[in-house]
Amino acid sequence: MDGLILGLDLCDAYTQLVCDAGEKSWIMPTVICKKKEEDVWLVGEPAYASALKGDGIIVDKLVKLVKKDGTSTIAGIKYDGMQLMVRFLVQVLRLAQEEYGTDKIKKLVITVPKVEIRLLECLRRCGEYLGADPEGIHIVSHTESFIYYVLSQKREVWTNQVGMFDLSQDGLCYYEMKMQRGMRQNTVLAEWERLEESFDLNILNSDKGARMADKILCSCGSRLIQKKLYSAIFLTGKGFGNLNWADNFMKLICSRRKVYMEDTLFASGAMYQGMDLLREKSAYPYTCICEGRLDSSVSMKVLSKGQESQLFLAKAGDVWYEAGADVEMILDHQDYLEFMITPLDSKKKKLMRMVLEGFPKRDDKTLKVLVQVGFLDERTMAVTVKDQGFGEFFPATEAKIRQEVML
Amino acid sequence: MSVILCRREQVTNPYYIEGLGVNIHSSQELCYAVYHHPLFFTDGFVDLSLTEFVRDQLGMGFVAARMEQRIKTGDKPDEILLMFMQECDYYTAAELGKLRQTLTAIRRLSPLEYAKKKADYLAEFKQYGKAIAGYQEILEAAAKNPDDQLEGKVWSNLGACYARIFQFVKAMESYDKAYAKSRDLKVIEKMYYLTRMSPSLELKDRHRSLVTGQLQEEWDKEFSRAEEKAEEGEALLEIEELFQKDSIRRLEESAVLVEEWKQEYRNMA
Repeated sequence: MDGLILGLDLCDAYTQLVCDAGEKSWIMPTVICKKKEEDVWLVGEPAYASALKGDGIIVDKLVKLVKKDGTSTIAGIKYDGMQLMVRFLVQVLRLAQEEYGTDKIKKLVITVPKVEIRLLECLRRCGEYLGADPEGIHIVSHTESFIYYVLSQKREVWTNQVGMFDLSQDGLCYYEMKMQRGMRQNTVLAEWERLEESFDLNILNSDKGARMADKILCSCGSRLIQKKLYSAIFLTGKGFGNLNWADNFMKLICSRRKVYMEDTLFASGAMYQGMDLLREKSAYPYTCICEGRLDSSVSMKVLSKGQESQLFLAKAGDVWYEAGADVEMILDHQDYLEFMITPLDSKKKKLMRMVLEGFPKRDDKTLKVLVQVGFLDERTMAVTVKDQGFGEFFPATEAKIRQEVML
Repeated sequence: MSVILCRREQVTNPYYIEGLGVNIHSSQELCYAVYHHPLFFTDGFVDLSLTEFVRDQLGMGFVAARMEQRIKTGDKPDEILLMFMQECDYYTAAELGKLRQTLTAIRRLSPLEYAKKKADYLAEFKQYGKAIAGYQEILEAAAKNPDDQLEGKVWSNLGACYARIFQFVKAMESYDKAYAKSRDLKVIEKMYYLTRMSPSLELKDRHRSLVTGQLQEEWDKEFSRAEEKAEEGEALLEIEELFQKDSIRRLEESAVLVEEWKQEYRNMA
């Protein structure tokens, strides 16, 4: 084997790992424990066991710890979120590495409920510690993994809309995906919402609690899926591990559509994406619009070969944290830049004008600027414009403008 | 109104344009230089060192090859230059048409007119040493076909160049010859200012007799105005600011400033 392709679902409550090499998958609580007297770190169930025995100190909610840039003191030593996350991931990945007898990771796709910048930076740095090639690590959202999982199934599964309920200790979420067929390119749209009606899984341990949970799910199901044409509905998460408590809900969702159960849906979706990333030509030639990806294109009108043309700085479907561009431009008889923001519904496109206040007044065609476009999240674009000068004719000044724009 | 997208050019060895005294770091700068200062690009500019820069530094191998081909076939340098500029996509077809007309007009100038225009241009860009050499060549050539009006202008410009590099005696001599050719009172005015700047210089009696009391009063006023303006100059304000700083920074920054002045003077002379 020349390396593993791994899909890792990382949540505060649990972590799942799947590998392309075999059927085996691992599910464990996202906890880490350090033994009191030795420099030994345990993760998952053994971590709980050690803490229960009293010979280890446990830390949970690792994702939250990283997001809030928190620290945890274990045996008098302060560890930041990233240090603990690295130790946790090393142990988790070792499970697959030992099982398949190789250390090499060809692709690691980590899927998280929501891609946030702090978590993203931490996971990328973790990747460096894990010895993985930076090109070999990708961080995606659950929504994106849901898309990849569904699209890797038979076509009939996703002919119409696809819905999914995810019930875990982290809450109850609903996902929905549909394919929009276009002339040039097909677009997959997926969105999710965290449902307010979420409940603690412990209530399923009593009859009364189970009945209430079934009622809650029925109410959500009626509200969310009725009057829509679904080809399939998926159920995932620990809460659906046993469906004896959800008779009414199952009756509701099983009528006129297929229902599938999948424990490791997000991790598997991430793994399928990892496999696809290694292909020369993608098996999923679609524009994906979902959490973690842009839903609008950003372009500028530029003059090229004497003709006006549209220069795309970012395209709908690009991963927001990788999207953007650095371009040098020369302004001719104008002191502003205009950005065209085009959502999928091109009727809703808007023009954003950025006046270059404080920039030097120069001869025509000598105001050269560097335009840097990046994104702070799916909805926020950050544009920086800097004066580049014009060689020795007009040395660069300190003039610079930064603007954040809601797409 | 438009925005021009710049090509990615990684220029590590800039192209030096002697006449302008500037290094060129991009195709846009080169086009700009040619468009605004065509006089510097009409004499043997289009050669293999230019095509080498176009190929190796600007990354325009195909264009460089076409230029070399046209050089070999003896095509007009102006046409080769215009072809290069067209490929750079910086100026519009209309703007390049205008440049073509300018180049044609330059080509129509007589050799002496052309040489003067070029020397004037050098002086405008503070390349006084080169401008002086240019003016001297014109005067040598003019000696064979005397033309008082042209020689008067050239001597006057030569005087201005010497004055700019603080060679006031030579400046005075040049103005003297300029007046002899042109009989223009403006030249006497310049000579008078020279005496104000360098008190060891004096107007010759034949010149002094032309300066009436009223003229002297006007010129004195003009000189005072120029002095006042110079006192408010940005460079002087910078120096004043420098002297407000603490002794260590003052010393460091003044060393840099003096070095800049030296370099500037070397370039001029």
